[in-house]
Amino acid sequence: MSTPTVDIPYLNISDPSFAMQSEELRNAREASWYARTNYGIAVLRYDEVSKLLKSPKLKQGSAQWPAHNGVHGGLFYDWWTKNLLVLEGEDHHRIRRLLNPAFSPRLIKDLVPRFQALANELIDAFIDQGECEFIRDFAEPYATRVLTILLGIPESEWPKIARLASTVGLALGVTFKRDLDKVEAAVAELYEYADELIKDRQANPGEDFVSRLVLASRDGDRLSDEELRNALVLLIFGGMDTTRNQLGLAMQSFIRNPEQWALLAERPELGAKAVEEVMRTNPTVTWVTREAVEDFTYQDLFIAQGTTVHLFTQSSGTDPLAFPNPEMDLLGEHAPHYGFGGGVHHCLGHFVARADMSEALPLLASRLADPHLIGGDEWLPDSGNTGPTRLPIGFTPRG
Amino acid sequence: MKTVDVDRSLCDNHGQCAIAAPEVFRMNPDGVLEYEPTFDDSLLDVVEEAIDVCPVQAIFLKD
Repeated sequence: MSTPTVDIPYLNISDPSFAMQSEELRNAREASWYARTNYGIAVLRYDEVSKLLKSPKLKQGSAQWPAHNGVHGGLFYDWWTKNLLVLEGEDHHRIRRLLNPAFSPRLIKDLVPRFQALANELIDAFIDQGECEFIRDFAEPYATRVLTILLGIPESEWPKIARLASTVGLALGVTFKRDLDKVEAAVAELYEYADELIKDRQANPGEDFVSRLVLASRDGDRLSDEELRNALVLLIFGGMDTTRNQLGLAMQSFIRNPEQWALLAERPELGAKAVEEVMRTNPTVTWVTREAVEDFTYQDLFIAQGTTVHLFTQSSGTDPLAFPNPEMDLLGEHAPHYGFGGGVHHCLGHFVARADMSEALPLLASRLADPHLIGGDEWLPDSGNTGPTRLPIGFTPRG
Repeated sequence: MKTVDVDRSLCDNHGQCAIAAPEVFRMNPDGVLEYEPTFDDSLLDVVEEAIDVCPVQAIFLKD
């Protein structure tokens, strides 16, 4: 790497106590657009994150994750190495073209009444108590039942889907190798589930989401049964924890900004804006990982082929150079955040996530006044996908 | 022939349109969108897919 003219900050991003929303990180961002870390470089400012996220000189950086953890075969390995997240070039584009139409915003819009009914049903169950455990009572069942609605499976099966998704999610943790048997069993169970769904929709195609995937074709090309199965597992894997965590973080953000919660209660049409502001200032995906495909120089920095580049989302979304008033503001006009990643690997399911969260938040705001923490909250570390795993809150029932 | 327009104030150069409709949209070596505003009617389906898939919804059919 070139000789730095200023002191380049160093961040230990694997340290369990590493905090994204900290003085340390703000100081680093003020001093430099990037930091060195124990594992590649971290990009801290908005403009640089925006450019590098979409740079053709970088590819998605997680393809080698199983190998880095000593996992070189098995069901998870085979699924991971063929899933859309890690595919590149035409292999990626072909699958993406076939999957995209089912995720069209026009089709997702039809599900909005179901999202609203679901949110109200969940709120009804705890509102009279004046308190709830927000993750257990709302965020997790909401995120998972949205998936069952999308997949067209009975909503009553959500606990099983939630359990399987969380178990497969262990593969992204530092204890992946130790949890491997559990992960493998969960992938096998999800495969059985997916195969049954695919077979059923192939025999009885309808207008639903899975039917659209089964029927998707382009220039005579279709998804194979294996590709369909892979995609359905990706949807469950990528769609559940992320939405659950993001809803938990949304509640945290609004507890810190009560006047914004009151505003949202008054003006439910700000639901979509609320999602964008929460994800800009308090995203669950704290960084997006890329890897240099070739040697190149960006600004003053030489980046060698193979270098891992972490693009920090919250840090870029609150960068004072791009956001003079970086605080959450539902009435503000802000540049887009990168909480859904970006470039060719931009989150496939973002229209679903945006639609379901932008219905949930205003309904919660209209019915739960003055939410506050009552103690006992538990949190995931800031490294990777963060959020509360337990969030007991009190509130005043409204209406 | 039909015409498509990209609102450059919204476009964030994610390049999803270039995946959906490479006949009309492409990313240059700097990662910036270039496109052919007029296209043959036979490409309408793929252009509509590009419009749908744009993460920031910056693409519009004209007339």
